Amino acid sequence: MIEVNNVTKQYGSFTALHEMDLSIRKGEFTAILGPSGCGKTTFLKLLAGFMKPSSGDIHIDGFLAASKKRLVPPEKRNIGMVFQSFALWPHMTVYEHVAFPLRHHHHTRDEWKQDIGARAQQVLKLVGLEQLFDRYPAELSGGQKQRVALARAIAPLPDVLLMDEPLSALDIELRVEMRNEIQRIHRETHASVVYVTHDQGEALAMADKIVVMNHGKIEQIGSPEAVYTRPETAFVASFVGKCNMVKGKWEQDFFIPNEFPWERWPDIGVTESLKEEGLCPVRPEQWKLAGEKEEGLKGTVLTVQYQGKEIHYTVEVENENWTVHQSVFQPKYGIGDTVSLSVKAEPSQKAASL
Amino acid sequence: MISPQSAAPERRREAPSFSSFFGTKKWLMVLGLLLVVCVFVVPVFRLLLLSVLDKGAWSSAHYESIWKETATWTAVRNTLYTTAGSTILSLVLGVSMAWIMAYVHLRGKRWMQLFIFLPFIIPSYITTLAWIQFLGKSGPVFSLFGWAPNLYSMGGIIFLLGVSHYPLVYLFTVDVFRKIPRELEDAARTSGAGRKHVLLKVVLPLALPGIAGGGLLAFLTNLDNFGIPAFLGIPANIRVLSTYIYEQIAGFGPSSFARAAVLSVLLGAIALAGTFLQWLLLKKSRVTETVVRDTNPRIYLAPRPQQLLEAGIWLFLGVTSLVPFLAMGALSLIKAYGLPFRPENLSLENYYYVFLEDAKTGSALWNSVWLAVFTMGICLVAGTALAYLRYRGDSFLAKWMELFVTVPYALPGTVLALCMIFAWMQPIPGWNPGLYGSVWILLIAYVTRFFVLQVRGSYTALLQVDPSMEEAAKVSGAYGWVKWRRILLPLLFPGLAGGALLVFLMVLTELTVSSLLWSTGSETIGVVIFNYEQAGYTTYSTAFASVLVLAILAGGLLFTALSRQWERKVMKKQ
Repeated sequence: MIEVNNVTKQYGSFTALHEMDLSIRKGEFTAILGPSGCGKTTFLKLLAGFMKPSSGDIHIDGFLAASKKRLVPPEKRNIGMVFQSFALWPHMTVYEHVAFPLRHHHHTRDEWKQDIGARAQQVLKLVGLEQLFDRYPAELSGGQKQRVALARAIAPLPDVLLMDEPLSALDIELRVEMRNEIQRIHRETHASVVYVTHDQGEALAMADKIVVMNHGKIEQIGSPEAVYTRPETAFVASFVGKCNMVKGKWEQDFFIPNEFPWERWPDIGVTESLKEEGLCPVRPEQWKLAGEKEEGLKGTVLTVQYQGKEIHYTVEVENENWTVHQSVFQPKYGIGDTVSLSVKAEPSQKAASL
Repeated sequence: MISPQSAAPERRREAPSFSSFFGTKKWLMVLGLLLVVCVFVVPVFRLLLLSVLDKGAWSSAHYESIWKETATWTAVRNTLYTTAGSTILSLVLGVSMAWIMAYVHLRGKRWMQLFIFLPFIIPSYITTLAWIQFLGKSGPVFSLFGWAPNLYSMGGIIFLLGVSHYPLVYLFTVDVFRKIPRELEDAARTSGAGRKHVLLKVVLPLALPGIAGGGLLAFLTNLDNFGIPAFLGIPANIRVLSTYIYEQIAGFGPSSFARAAVLSVLLGAIALAGTFLQWLLLKKSRVTETVVRDTNPRIYLAPRPQQLLEAGIWLFLGVTSLVPFLAMGALSLIKAYGLPFRPENLSLENYYYVFLEDAKTGSALWNSVWLAVFTMGICLVAGTALAYLRYRGDSFLAKWMELFVTVPYALPGTVLALCMIFAWMQPIPGWNPGLYGSVWILLIAYVTRFFVLQVRGSYTALLQVDPSMEEAAKVSGAYGWVKWRRILLPLLFPGLAGGALLVFLMVLTELTVSSLLWSTGSETIGVVIFNYEQAGYTTYSTAFASVLVLAILAGGLLFTALSRQWERKVMKKQ
C-alpha cells in the first residue's frame, strides 16, 4: 500500500510534479502514462527513494518513506526496479545479477539468504533463463537482457516493483511478447507494480489502473477502459484515444457542433467535464465515412494511408483536419474525394463505460 | 519455455529505518570545503601577502624595486617570446597532425599515435637532454654534416618547448575534428562546396574553439615549463620568469623570498588569465561533447600520395620522438664525454657509477618512488571522493571545491613551490614544525599540485558509467562499501587507474616544484639529473635519464596491457 500525499518536486525554478495525490493498493498493476517530460520518471524516482520531494510525503505500508526532511534510501526500501536501459552490470554473469540482491537486499527471506543458489535458480526458471546462467550481458540479446533485469528485480520478492519504460529499448515484436511475460510475473509474485510508459498501448494492455499525467499533474485516474472510452480531459482524450475534438454545445443527451448547427449527435459516452467545456471527443474509429451523396458533414479527403486491416484518412471539414479510421471492408476513397462524415451510434460502448 | 511456478509466498516485513547520513553529510561537506581552502587556496594568499609586506608593514617597495630593474623586463620579454613562439609551433604541428590523423586514411595509425604520445609522457627536461646529445658536438648530426644548430639559444628553447608540447594540442583537437559530424561536410559538398571550401568554411570554424583551447593549454604549459629554459637558457644567460624566480631562491639574497614572491605574482597573474580564457572557450565548445566520435577516415588518398604522406609522418615522428632518445642512450654508454662512438669507447661504467656508486641516486630513486606512491594513494582516494560528490551534482560546495583544487595546477610550478614554502614553513605564524627542509614538504606540494588530475580522471570515469548502474545496485540493497567494491570500482577501474598512473608519472619525474623544495637527503630523480647536468656530468645524467625513459615506456605498456585485459575479462568485449 503506497500513499502519495500532496507531493511536489521542483528542480530549481522548474516544477516537475504539482501537488500529486495517489494511492496504490497492494498487488495492483498501476501504469503511469504520459508524454516525455510529464513528470512520470520523476515520480518513479521519488517512489524508489533516489530523491526527496520538495513538499508533501510518501507513506509505504503506513510508514513514512519520504518527506521534505526525511528519506528512507532505496537500499532500505522493499522495492525492486527495472530500468529503461536495463542497467545490467557488464562485469557480472546472469547468475551473479540474480544473486546480488539476494545477498544484499534487506528484505530477502532468511532461508533464501542461506541458500542463494536454490532461490536464484528458481527465479531464473521463472523468467526462462536457467540455461544462460553463466553468460555476461554482452553475450545476451535484447529480450534476454530484459529478462535478467526482471529477474534481478523480483529475486528478493519485493512488495513493490518499479518499472521505468522497460520495453522501450526492445523492438516491436519483442515488446508484445514481453507484455505477456510481465503480466505473468505480476500474477505470480503478487507485487504491486508501478509501470511508467509513454506508450498507451502498453498501459491499456497490462494495467489494472492507469494514471494519465501531463505537465507534472494527474489528468485522470481510472481503469484502462474508462480512460480510453470516457476521458475526463481534452488531453486524455487526444493522448490516449487519439480523439478528434469537436467543438460545440451539449443539450441534454445530444451534441450540436458549432460549424454544423443542424446536426444532432448522440451521447457516445462523454464525461461531464468535457460536456461543460463544450467538447465532443470522437475517436478515429467512431466516424462513419460515406459517399458524397449520403447524409453527414461534407469533407475532402487530404491523405490516405493503407495500414493492412485499416485505412487511415485525414479529412478536411470546415478548415479542421480530422482523423478517420475505416475497416478495409468499407468502400475506399481517394485523395480529393468529397465524403460524408457522421458519428456511429454504439450503444454497447455507452453501456461499457458505466 | 517458461515454467509456471509461483514465487509468491509470504514476504519478510520490517519497519524501514531512515538514513542517518543526512544530518552528518552536510557537516562533512563543510569540513571538506574548509580543508580544501586551507590546503589549496590559503597558500596562494600567503604568497600575495608576502609580496606586499616589508618588515611587517604594508608596502609596495618590492614591486617598485622589481619594476625599475631592466633584468625583470628582459625576463618578461624572453618569457613572452619563448611562450608565443613555442605555442605557435605547437599549434601548427598539433593541429595539422590532428587533422591528418582524424580524417585521412593511413596505415599504422595506432603506432603513429603511440609515437605522438611519447614526448608527452617523457618529461621535457629528459627530452631536452636527448636533443642536446642529438645536436651536440659528439652527436650524429654534427658528425654527419660537420654542423649542428645551437640549442642553447632562444630558438632552441622555442623549438624544444614546441616539440615537447605539440602532443597536448594534438590530444585536445583530434577529438574535436572527429566529433564534427560527417553529415555537415557532406551537406556542404552537396551544396556545391569543394574540398578546400569545406575545410575553410565548415571544418575549421567548427573546430576553432577546440583549437583555441588547445593553443591556450600549450601556452600555459610553455609558460609553466621550467626544465627546458633551465637546461638551455641558464647556460646561455637567457632568463625567463620561471628560471628567474628559481635563481632568486637559489641565490639566497636578503630579500630573495620577497622578490621571488613579486615575480611569482606577475607570472601567476599571466597564467590565471590564460586559464580563465581557456575556461571561457571550453564553455563555448561544450556542444560538441554530446556528439559521438567518428573514428573512420573521411579522406582516401591515391596509393602514391598516401605512401608519401605516411613516409613523411614517420620521418617527422622518428626525428622528434625516437632518434634523440637513441642518441641519448648511445651517449650514456660512452666512457668519457667527447670520445667518438666506437666499440672500444663503450662501457656500462656510467650506469655502474650512477646506480651503484653514487649514493644520491639510490636515495633519489627511493624518494621519488615512495613520494609517487603516497601522492597517488592520497589523490586516488580523496580525489575520487571529490569527483563522486561533483558527479552526484547536488551540492554547490562540491563545485567550489573542484574550482579550488584547480588553482594550484593552473599556477606555474615555480609559483606553487613558493606558495608551499610560505604556507608550510610556518603553517601557523610563529610555529615551525620543520616541514620545509624535509621530504614532507615535497609530499604536500605534490598532492596539492596533482590532486586535480585525479579528480578529473575519476570524474571522466564516473561520467562514463550510466547512473542507472548505481541505482540498480541501491535498489538491490547494496550501499556504502559493498556498492563501491562490487559495482562501481570494477566499472571505474581503467579511468581511475589512468588518472592514478598519470599522477604517479608526474610525481616520479617532477622537476619544477622539486628543484625549489628539495634539501639534502630529500633529492628526487629530477633534481639529481638536473644537478648532474649543471655540474657537467652529462654522461651520468644521460645514463640515469635513459633508464627512466625505459621504465616509463615499460609502465605505459603495462598499463595498456592491463586495460586491454580489463576490457576482455571484466567488460567481456571481444
